[in-house]
Amino acid sequence: MSKTILIVDDSISIRQVVGMALRGAGFEVIEGVDGKDALTKCDGRKIHLVISDVNMPNMDGITFVTELKKLAAYRFTPVIMLTTEGSDDKKAAGKAAGAKAWVVKPFKAEQMLDAVNKLILP
Amino acid sequence: MMDMAQAEQIFIEEAQDLLQVMETCLLDIEGGDATPADHIAAIFRAAHTIKGSAGLFGFNTVVGFTHSVESVLDKVRDNKLQMDALLVSLLLDCQQHMAQMIAALSYPALAVNAAQGTFLLEQLGTYLQAPKDLAPAPVAAQTAAADAWSVDVAYGLDVFRDGMDPVSQLSYLTTLGTLEQVSLQYSFPADFDPESCYLHLQLQLKTGAGKQKIEDVFEFIQESSQVQIKPPLTVVEQLEHTPLQPEKLGQLLVDAGAVTPRELEQVLELQKQQTHSSVGELLVQQGAVPTAVVEAAVNRQAHQEHKRASDFQVLKVEARKLDHLIKLIGEMVTAGSANEMLISQTNNEQLQEAFSSITHLIEQIRDGALSLRMVQIGESFSRLKRIVRDVSRELGKDVELDVVGAETELDKSMVEKLSDPLMHIVRNALDHGIEPVDIRTYRGKPAQGRLKLSAYHEAGAVVIEIQDDGAGLDASRIRAKAEEKGLISSEQALSQEDIYRLIFEPGFSTAAQVTNLSGRGVGMDVVKRNIEELRGQILIDSELGKGARFRIRLPLTLAIIDGFEVTVGDTHLVLPVNMIQECLEFEHAELVEDRNYLNLRGDVLPFVRLRQLFQLPQPPASRENIVVVQYGRSRAGLVVDTLNGELQAVIKPLAPIFRSTHGISGSTILGSGDVGFILDIPQLIEYACSTESAR
Repeated sequence: MSKTILIVDDSISIRQVVGMALRGAGFEVIEGVDGKDALTKCDGRKIHLVISDVNMPNMDGITFVTELKKLAAYRFTPVIMLTTEGSDDKKAAGKAAGAKAWVVKPFKAEQMLDAVNKLILP
Repeated sequence: MMDMAQAEQIFIEEAQDLLQVMETCLLDIEGGDATPADHIAAIFRAAHTIKGSAGLFGFNTVVGFTHSVESVLDKVRDNKLQMDALLVSLLLDCQQHMAQMIAALSYPALAVNAAQGTFLLEQLGTYLQAPKDLAPAPVAAQTAAADAWSVDVAYGLDVFRDGMDPVSQLSYLTTLGTLEQVSLQYSFPADFDPESCYLHLQLQLKTGAGKQKIEDVFEFIQESSQVQIKPPLTVVEQLEHTPLQPEKLGQLLVDAGAVTPRELEQVLELQKQQTHSSVGELLVQQGAVPTAVVEAAVNRQAHQEHKRASDFQVLKVEARKLDHLIKLIGEMVTAGSANEMLISQTNNEQLQEAFSSITHLIEQIRDGALSLRMVQIGESFSRLKRIVRDVSRELGKDVELDVVGAETELDKSMVEKLSDPLMHIVRNALDHGIEPVDIRTYRGKPAQGRLKLSAYHEAGAVVIEIQDDGAGLDASRIRAKAEEKGLISSEQALSQEDIYRLIFEPGFSTAAQVTNLSGRGVGMDVVKRNIEELRGQILIDSELGKGARFRIRLPLTLAIIDGFEVTVGDTHLVLPVNMIQECLEFEHAELVEDRNYLNLRGDVLPFVRLRQLFQLPQPPASRENIVVVQYGRSRAGLVVDTLNGELQAVIKPLAPIFRSTHGISGSTILGSGDVGFILDIPQLIEYACSTESAR
């Protein structure tokens, strides 16, 4: 059974490009438009990896990850944060929240796949 | 600067020569035409030297094998084993195997027959009661890692909690290359937490990817875990092919893919705090790269600098051609002085003047030709640097090496013959002189030992000093040991200096424990002999607990000297001018009755009557002169008949039959065609001082 990845970003184009690349690699992809929306998707189903943007309306990525890690089912779920260069304090906050992997925007689809492959088995 | 490759080449050549000696001696013993004791000593020394040098270069298989050979030979030397035909033939097989191992160092394609080696070691083992466990590690184990990166990951406790999965990293690594020798260890603490990660991963990775690529695999656990990635030795080759551009060491390593920019940055940051450490040292310390890779990079860098300094063009000339030229110039000097003498008898002032300019030119040509043979001693010193580094590491001692006067020039042939004695003295200083760190601390000394190598010119001689701040020589221990070995009797009165000199006696060694390096009683006697062969002297100063200083004093050149001619009866004698302090008329009135010293402006000056010393038949001349000579810190007077003046003397060695004649170091042909004997001033001074103090 293929693994499930949740991608959270308010930009449709990012969700689409990343989603395409991941689906092409054989992953199941579910999407969230912001932190709040994403939390509703985390309803106890198995999610192997979360990819989340930082700056989003309604609930930002860091709050989202903090909330996510409070849920027993997702305590150990690896999180990749998407960030723009030069946001070091955001990065520190994200790491404190439990997101240890970061990918810098702009990125290519292959770079994202590379990062994913370092975290979960295909 | 000599690089490692050159030094290794020297080792290989040296080892091949020694193996040749070993073979010849073994064959002589087998053939029955040998003086076994000498031959066995020579064979033993050959094995000992090969083992010692191989150790310095890290050729562990050679060390391991040779150690067993040496141990067997040691027993033979101590008469605990009989050198029978069976053993001789086994040793010949061993010699052949060693030759193979040495040859394989320069031509790796020549595979060493490991099975043969194991077989020989077993055979040797039967001669040794307790078989050594120093047998060489299987060759395969050493070579396996040569082209693979070694990856070592100590996972942090939080790795699982962070959602990281070591299995995905391993799976990702397989996309870069092939994994070998993967080992996953774990150690669970008493307060085991099932959510924590206690894993330690080690593996070998064969890949064409650079270090950055490998490190990136672990980028997300970089902060929680300790990741060490060491490049394979093949990176060394890559380094050799990097384009030649003026570059810094760190950049060079990054370009070759041996170090990542992140590691370099960390180390540069670290260097701001530890300013005395080099980037290379810190990189090794941080475990980013093995020492060999840093060395290759440093060599590469040195090579670049060398290329840039192309103003200093060097021409390689065969030593044979040079020697021929110097020999001819020697002849010209002799012929020149013959002409000069004849011309001075003609009273033709114009001719004399014209010839004096030729004489001047000849002197310049002579000096120029001799300087062709001069090399800086720094070359030998840099070989010692490596030894100090490796030996101190092996012995677990921390030693800082100071080098002073590396630019001092010395005759090339002398430098060659000096390298072995210097190596022995340095090794002894490290092994026996400088104490282990805990003892140093206990004695209130700085934990880091200091070894100082210096070279300088002094009164027509070159002095090389090896000074350490170690334990110093223990005169009472040396004496006890010498008595035990039967070198001296217990009644014999000896000065401190005389006792120190006992360490140069063959078979003398005070080390209680036989280490890999010294302590077998090989070396110091050879050291003294080598130096005496160069017409040099070795002196020891030591203060118990403070350190020791070995001073080697050598004549500046071996070929032509500025001499001063004197006669005793009709015998011509030549003294090196630079050792003469002054010449005086010999006044019998000032003599102290029946004693061989006189009062020279308030100082005591011992003297020697050369007529008596050399047993020359003629009666003393009515007027005698005394030449005051100085060597180092001591001086003496030599009583002669007439003073004839300066000349250039081409030194011709004495035939072996005269070697035992004391006080004469060589001969020369004078302008008149007569033979002049060159006086051995250091020996004469020693003789004058000792006969006087013996009274």
